[in-house]
Amino acid sequence: MSPDARREFFLHIVLISVLSVLLFPLAFALSNSFKTLSDAYSSVGELIPSRPTLENYIHVFSRLDIARITFNTLFIAVIAAVFKVATSVLSAYAFTAYEFEGKNALYFVIISTMFIPFNVTMLPNYLTISSLGLDDALIGVALPQLADATGIFLIRQSMKTIPKSIIEAAAMENKSRFGILRDIVIPLTRPAIMSVGIIFFINSWNEYVWPVLMLKSRSNFTLSLALQMYISSEGGTEFTVAMAVSVLTMLVPLTLYLIFQKFIISTFTSSGVKE
Amino acid sequence: MKISRNIRAFLYLAPSLAVFAAFMFWPLVRTFYLSFFSWNMVKPVKKFVGLANYAELLSSPLTYKILGNTAVYIFILLAVNFAAPYVLSFVLSCAVKRGRGFYKSAYFMPSVVSLVVGSIVYMWILNPVSGPVALLVKHIGVSIPIWSKTDGIVIVILSIITSWKIFGYNFIVILGGVSGISGEVIEAARIDNVPLRRIFIDIVLPMSSATGVYLFVMTIVQGLQYVFTPIKVLTQGGPNYASSNLIYQSYHELFVVYRTGPGCALSILTLAVFSLLLFMEFRFVEKKVYYES
Repeated sequence: MSPDARREFFLHIVLISVLSVLLFPLAFALSNSFKTLSDAYSSVGELIPSRPTLENYIHVFSRLDIARITFNTLFIAVIAAVFKVATSVLSAYAFTAYEFEGKNALYFVIISTMFIPFNVTMLPNYLTISSLGLDDALIGVALPQLADATGIFLIRQSMKTIPKSIIEAAAMENKSRFGILRDIVIPLTRPAIMSVGIIFFINSWNEYVWPVLMLKSRSNFTLSLALQMYISSEGGTEFTVAMAVSVLTMLVPLTLYLIFQKFIISTFTSSGVKE
Repeated sequence: MKISRNIRAFLYLAPSLAVFAAFMFWPLVRTFYLSFFSWNMVKPVKKFVGLANYAELLSSPLTYKILGNTAVYIFILLAVNFAAPYVLSFVLSCAVKRGRGFYKSAYFMPSVVSLVVGSIVYMWILNPVSGPVALLVKHIGVSIPIWSKTDGIVIVILSIITSWKIFGYNFIVILGGVSGISGEVIEAARIDNVPLRRIFIDIVLPMSSATGVYLFVMTIVQGLQYVFTPIKVLTQGGPNYASSNLIYQSYHELFVVYRTGPGCALSILTLAVFSLLLFMEFRFVEKKVYYES
């Protein structure tokens, strides 16, 4: 082997070690969700269960209202993703298609919202949502998350790549600005818009902090909150059931990711390229 | 003409701005306001106390413990999610020819999984008695401490759980910056037999500095907020505040012991730290004071 090939071989070993550390927790949850509790205790590290069982999933479907819990999670995530995408596309377009006074200052104000930690907003938002009578309501969880600076930033990055001449040609034909957005800009930036939307959906699906503040009754629980019921300081006695709920919680985000990974990866790769 | 253009641009921006005003900026003002009052969320009257909440924070040893913990969290998060992916992305883009796309996709997978799942799974993987790691190291005569009850190590474990989620995302972002560097420059250096370590320090770091600063800042901003979930789920800031940080502590004051005054003062303190990072971001990234492009 040449020195370069030997080095590449060694580097693959490093890269694969990192990969197995990252993926082990996923495999661990999956395999233990198919074990009985006693099997899990006697052979916890065994990745292929020797006596696989569905009893944990049966337990989840009979004891938890998992359909309701999944619907709650989906409801909040769809509202948040749809609204965030719509508001982000409109704002990104304003920065792409218009020159206006205070443009840079306004962009700074929008980007600065990424630097406001949630502990600064959570008490007033809790009070606002409660005063609207929306505490312990799914819509109250979705309401504060209908716009997102990251979305504006990423979609603007993508809109910047459209050649000015295309937009100017359409403007010459007396096409309205909104018509240009609808018929030219959105179709050309569809991959970015789609992957931003999927990431918004996944982030909301996984969200924990804000729902745990707002949602009190079990019938309103989301998957993350249901999962939390299986945690006690000693680890609890329903370990394998908790692993089954974990698998159900990650099923939708992982499936979406595996389908759309190309778009998602390229959108975030471009977010790192600062120019 | 000019005015109507301003108004039309504003109409496109209005929906986002309305949401930010109602649920970001107005709450920020209210939190600032409430930091000068003594209140418990229930009493009908808020009592104005001036700077007393801030004075109480500055004189309490607990505050300095929390600040110290926050610094440790930041240090570990940066080491694992900034330094390590930086080096790894260079290695991948420069010295590895096969499997690049595969590593990219696979590393990102944990980033789409809930941190509540991460917390509960790691709680079992790292269980000191019956977890697989404990069983493995028992063979070489090592035992795992009860980490959720041990000062110091509890922060390390909670940071690792959080890193599991952020690592892949950060890796993708920095890889975007590193692979944006012209291959010819690196190729020329390699033909001259410049060692990889020197190529990284002398060429790659300066040429990807904007992405680097962006990632540095975002690792702190996002990392400190993400780590809230494993703290809340696994330790509630314990034992004896050993795993609490600025953000968890203000949650604790606000929603566990209902002291809105000190809670809001802690939130404003967090905001002050984050404002420094925002300044850094704008100074070095958005204003283009860097060597790239």
